[in-house]
Amino acid sequence: MLVSVLVVAIPFGIVASRSGLSPAESMAMSLFVFAGASQFAMVQLFADHVAWPVVVATVLLINLRHLLMAAALRPYFARVSVARRLAAAFVLTDEAFAMAIGWFRRGRTEIAYYVTFAVALYVLWNTGTAIGMLVGPAIGEPRRFGVDFSITATFIAIVVLGVRRRTDALVAVVAAVLAAALAYLGASVVAVVTAGALAPLLVLATRGEPDA
Amino acid sequence: MTWLAIAGSAIVTYVIRAIAFRVAMPANVPRRVGRYLDALPAAIIAALAGPAIVVPNGAPTRGPELIAALVVIGMVVWRRNLLAGVLAGVATVALLRLVLAA
Repeated sequence: MLVSVLVVAIPFGIVASRSGLSPAESMAMSLFVFAGASQFAMVQLFADHVAWPVVVATVLLINLRHLLMAAALRPYFARVSVARRLAAAFVLTDEAFAMAIGWFRRGRTEIAYYVTFAVALYVLWNTGTAIGMLVGPAIGEPRRFGVDFSITATFIAIVVLGVRRRTDALVAVVAAVLAAALAYLGASVVAVVTAGALAPLLVLATRGEPDA
Repeated sequence: MTWLAIAGSAIVTYVIRAIAFRVAMPANVPRRVGRYLDALPAAIIAALAGPAIVVPNGAPTRGPELIAALVVIGMVVWRRNLLAGVLAGVATVALLRLVLAA
């Protein structure tokens, strides 16, 4: 799991450096936002010259799920000081959540496990970003080598890897097709992102499938 | 502009992560809300991918991106590996653009 972080972080560094962002901007995203899918989305939106509130709103929507993850972890941090809890929140990611919740559900209580794992992810994510930024400029003309497609390919891969139920695939296809049609007709990025935000309503229309 | 976007994104991301660690949330979020939030990230990311496949770099695709998207899906389903999918997709796009240009 730790190595797989590098596998995503290095491409992030490459696409960020190839998309015209400065090294400081690329690095700041990994250091301060520290959210994989959001950072790829940000690079795409910067390339589309979207206004900053749209970027922030998109990131907000992508990361809203952490609200539920933090709520699930909170009971295990009940005896930890507020300052430490707020520090633990900074390094909360899908991966850290998955490892920690598994650990706690096995009856363990040491939060050092979460902290160690989450901080390791943070260090690797930033190391990978830096490596990608160094390698990126060495790759030749982006369009000729299809490098401009790497963000799109990463989006597709993230979505496919996240499919656990049939409705997940349905929602993703509807969101992609709806957004593509809107963009083809010349709609703004705001409309496209809104279409994406509305697509999961389909899930609510379906009867609850058992969790995979 | 870029810095405002980065700072704003960093703040909202942290606030979301911190809020539930600090403030008590209802023990059980309504199941429907939970399922909506669960499906949201993939939908937003899919909504960013769709346009990039059909209207890459602002001009309607001549095919390579569409075919490459299918290659990425196939590769990731098969190998369950992000990098394998991305490399296959990039190689497909590069190759098809070369063929189209010839």
